[in-house]
Amino acid sequence: MRTALKAALVVAVMVVLGAVGTAVAGEQAAIQIEGSTTVGPIADAFVEAFASSHPNVTMTVKKTGSGDGAAALIDGRCQIATMSRFMKPEEFAKAVANGVMPVAHAVAMDGVCVIVHPSNPVKGLTTQQVRDIYTGKLTNWSQLGGPDLPIVAISRDTSSGTYESFTHFVMGKDKMAQQVEYVNSNPQCHARVEATAGAVAYVGLGFVDDKVKALDINGVAPSRATIASGKYPMSRPLFLFTNGYPELGTPIFDFCTFHLTEKGQEIVEAKGFVALTAY
Amino acid sequence: MEDAPQFVAEPAAGFNRPLLLSAGRDRFGWALGHLGRAVLGLITGTSVLAVVLIFVFIVREAWPFFAQRSLAEAFGSTQWYPQAAAGQEQFGMLALIVGSLYVTAGALVLAVPLGILTAVVLSDIVPFGLRQAIKPVVELLAAIPSVAFGFFAVKVLAPFMQTHLGFTTGANILNSSLVLAVMAIPTIVSVAEDSLWAVGRDLREASFACGATRAETLVKVVIPAAHNGILAAIVLGMMRAIGETMLVWMASGNAAQIPSPWWDLSQSVRTMTATIAGEMGETPQGSIQRHALFAVGLILLVFSLGLNLLTETLLRRAKTGKGDRR
Amino acid sequence: MRTRLRQIANTLFTLAALASVVLVVAALVGILLPMIWRGSGAVAFQGTVEFRRMQIEQLGRGDRKALQEEMEQANRLRDQAWGMLDRFAAAMDPSDLVTRVRQLHREFSTQIDNRDLRRDQTTQLKSLSRSLRDKLLAAMDTQDTSAATANLDEVLSHAEDGPLRGTVAAGYFDAARHYRDAISGVDLARRDQYVEPYRQVRSAVEALLGPRPGKPLPALVMQRYGATRWDQAREHLANVLWAREWVADGPGRPLRQVAVPREQQFAGTELAGLFPLMRDNAAGMLLPRWTFYWQYFIDDSLSGHYFGGVGPEVIGTLLITVLAILFAMPIGVITAGYLIECAGDGPLTRLLRMCINTLAGVPSIVFGLFGLAFFVIYLLPKLGAPQGSSIVSGAMTLALLVLPVVIRASEEAIRSVPSSYREASLALGASRLHCFVTVTLPAAMPGILTGLILSMSRAAGETAPILFTAAVAMGPVPSSLLEPTRTLSYSSYDMAVGDRMAAMAPHNQYGMVMTLVGIVLLLNIVAIVLRGRMARKLRGQ
Repeated sequence: MRTALKAALVVAVMVVLGAVGTAVAGEQAAIQIEGSTTVGPIADAFVEAFASSHPNVTMTVKKTGSGDGAAALIDGRCQIATMSRFMKPEEFAKAVANGVMPVAHAVAMDGVCVIVHPSNPVKGLTTQQVRDIYTGKLTNWSQLGGPDLPIVAISRDTSSGTYESFTHFVMGKDKMAQQVEYVNSNPQCHARVEATAGAVAYVGLGFVDDKVKALDINGVAPSRATIASGKYPMSRPLFLFTNGYPELGTPIFDFCTFHLTEKGQEIVEAKGFVALTAY
Repeated sequence: MEDAPQFVAEPAAGFNRPLLLSAGRDRFGWALGHLGRAVLGLITGTSVLAVVLIFVFIVREAWPFFAQRSLAEAFGSTQWYPQAAAGQEQFGMLALIVGSLYVTAGALVLAVPLGILTAVVLSDIVPFGLRQAIKPVVELLAAIPSVAFGFFAVKVLAPFMQTHLGFTTGANILNSSLVLAVMAIPTIVSVAEDSLWAVGRDLREASFACGATRAETLVKVVIPAAHNGILAAIVLGMMRAIGETMLVWMASGNAAQIPSPWWDLSQSVRTMTATIAGEMGETPQGSIQRHALFAVGLILLVFSLGLNLLTETLLRRAKTGKGDRR
Repeated sequence: MRTRLRQIANTLFTLAALASVVLVVAALVGILLPMIWRGSGAVAFQGTVEFRRMQIEQLGRGDRKALQEEMEQANRLRDQAWGMLDRFAAAMDPSDLVTRVRQLHREFSTQIDNRDLRRDQTTQLKSLSRSLRDKLLAAMDTQDTSAATANLDEVLSHAEDGPLRGTVAAGYFDAARHYRDAISGVDLARRDQYVEPYRQVRSAVEALLGPRPGKPLPALVMQRYGATRWDQAREHLANVLWAREWVADGPGRPLRQVAVPREQQFAGTELAGLFPLMRDNAAGMLLPRWTFYWQYFIDDSLSGHYFGGVGPEVIGTLLITVLAILFAMPIGVITAGYLIECAGDGPLTRLLRMCINTLAGVPSIVFGLFGLAFFVIYLLPKLGAPQGSSIVSGAMTLALLVLPVVIRASEEAIRSVPSSYREASLALGASRLHCFVTVTLPAAMPGILTGLILSMSRAAGETAPILFTAAVAMGPVPSSLLEPTRTLSYSSYDMAVGDRMAAMAPHNQYGMVMTLVGIVLLLNIVAIVLRGRMARKLRGQ
């Protein structure tokens, strides 16, 4: 008897959960946002700002890498893909083959900053020197005018848009050396450099603070002015990609044009990136 | 003569039916019984179905990789560049496999002696009451999620290695192996302790009667008698270490390389599990990289199943095999 | 002689064995204790008045009147600090004025658009406003006093302009006058010496006390409050009082960090008085008090995990694990029952057992792969659900993961029911099924329950299977089973390596891991206690 009661209770709970699930599933608009860990903080902040203005819209954010975002958009698993690089031709082709028309919205500008530990006296490097570090030709900071410390080169993993941007600007056709350490996100790069005296990594501008030091590249320091004007060699826009241009007035449209509002640009700047315009 | 006592009581509800029925008399009951058994059998078959499905789906996704790439490249090359320009990707899994082996071997080197010695303490040295109290604690420790261990490895152990041991990087083989060993020890201790306990007092008493010290009894008599169970414990620990994902993803550095002097544990490696976890999200359906990751998963699956089979054989031999058992 | 050697060897062996136990216990304590200790700091800590203000404004929890009084008390001291900073900033760092001037231009443009004017009038007014703005900005940017004054005078020459009267543009002239007064007695040429340190001090004070009252609120919730915890406050206070600089230590050596007291940096300026004020009155400005924030376990997190608690993660974990157990229990118990009651010892049974053991040996990431390939991509779309991660896929994957555990525990429990029960029931005429369902199963229920609780703890701690099937880093509490969810396990991973906010709030990182470990350990302890009681009951028979 007790077992039967228990079984009945169990079945009842399942039925209720399932009913609630299917009943509510159709009503609320759900926007899934996946992609870059660079643009992720901006997306998080936008979602939070939307919580008060669009209370009926549920938005979820996943930050695992620009490549993940592109793949999710192509497969139809997300509505907005945040990417810190433009889509590759293969991704575009795959998207079109799947019936997805990717449209890019540039929401902010960013610079890929090469960071080192603040105790490292090296002030700046050329792109060639950075390339030599990452291909393994330079292995000790003393070869660059720094202390006698082995260079610990840290890179983002291959799903990252920051990785792609870095490869595009610096590596060219060369492959990274095998002993380069791979981490999964900007904050992890930052944490590794903060903790390791001999480390060098690259992150988005929004992740540079007083715990790490950003190097000058080819003599130009990364700052809002130099990135906005393009003088800093590794400046790049940050994108949101959607499937087709969103319909006017829908929450997706509001999200993709939020960076054009004053509040949106304030958020972008508060996160440490460069707003698209000098509002 | 009195009448035979009448055992006629009021039939209680549900007991109207005569008690003994042949299949002929109770066709309904017979059919229901067999039908019920068939249904239950089908439900039971879910486990079989699950295993079959796992194999089918993983092989189905992994096969295109093996069809398109040579085995020599997959198992012989250490160049893992899945995101190179189209047509130039390289999928050399050797570094990944070696990375997994390095981390596992490092963990076992630490976990096996510590685990077996702890098991010995629990079965032979500590009084019975204390043993009954400690065993649940060991099980408790086996239940701690791996994310918590990964957290410790990244936040506490890695900075310690960098500042006090002077390592160039805190995320390396040594870090992962140390914490992995701590994770594997409870598994090894439970199984080894059970098999040591199962050896029985008679063997031990015979050895003591011959004048052996406790250490000699353990080393020369009990442990060899329980060797199947202990080997099974080691293999189970190995399975736990090889299948571990979160800890190595966070703490091993993820550099797809074979460490350069082979004994240098302060270098980073990448394991198969961390590769799958890290790169899965970025692969669109049907891309060669997704197939490659499923292929890595297949290798992992085959390896784990081989170890599983080995464990089963060893445990069966332990139960039925040599030596005096109770 | 040899006996002595053997005895020494024996003692050494015992010592080594005991040492290994001590090592293992020490390792586990060393791993868990800091986590639990620091995690408890997320729940029990010294909270400042900023924390109480955040609770009231963001979560509606607390006593408004008491907070009002506390803020008045704190502001008495704070206003002194803000006053000092403002007076210094008026000449040295006009960035607030710059922001205000830009905003004036935007407001003016909006105001003009709302009036009904001809197009050429609108354009003319807007370009006039723009030129005023640019002149003001140029004046504030330069360090040459004469150039600045020239620009300001030009701006002020428009002060009596007809079309601008009565509009927001009056603010331009106030700003110009204000700035002219500020720079009148100050040596602008020194500005570049003080601007950067001033900005650092300013941001450190804002991090400590929250934004300056009276200015528009920052867009990010995180920046609207100062230090909510006293330990955080002490760090920010140290940033206010000390400047950290990296100085050369000799050629070929890394730089060394030295702490320069800021009083030294600003010696001789009006700001020098700020630092003793802050040092002596920090407690008065923040009013720290011991707080027990038990709502940590049910509150949502704000500003990405900077404020708030782990409520949605706890809910997500519970949803997924309970659902997984609901899937696994019937299958597991029935399988165990079948294996014991109905199955013989034939090849089919051996196959079954082999499959169960195989399931037990599959690595968790491979379960994740299978969950992605089968449930997310193949099965759920076939059943009409939207494609993507969902609680249901994650739960089904976890159910497969824990199925062997459930089966083994159930088997053990059913086997340990004394056969006398079964025989008695069969003797009374019950059919085998009836006997199983009404006698064996209830008697084995404590054991089965123990197994279920153990599998629940296992499922709660697993991350790899839900990586691709159910977990997201940020999202609302799920309203349907077809949505993905945050879970404690995935969020712990995310907080440890991926989240930038988390690095700034380490107590939240530890708090989340502590919650996860706490839940898992709690479930296990419940299971162990249950098992002990059940063993005692059976022995008492």
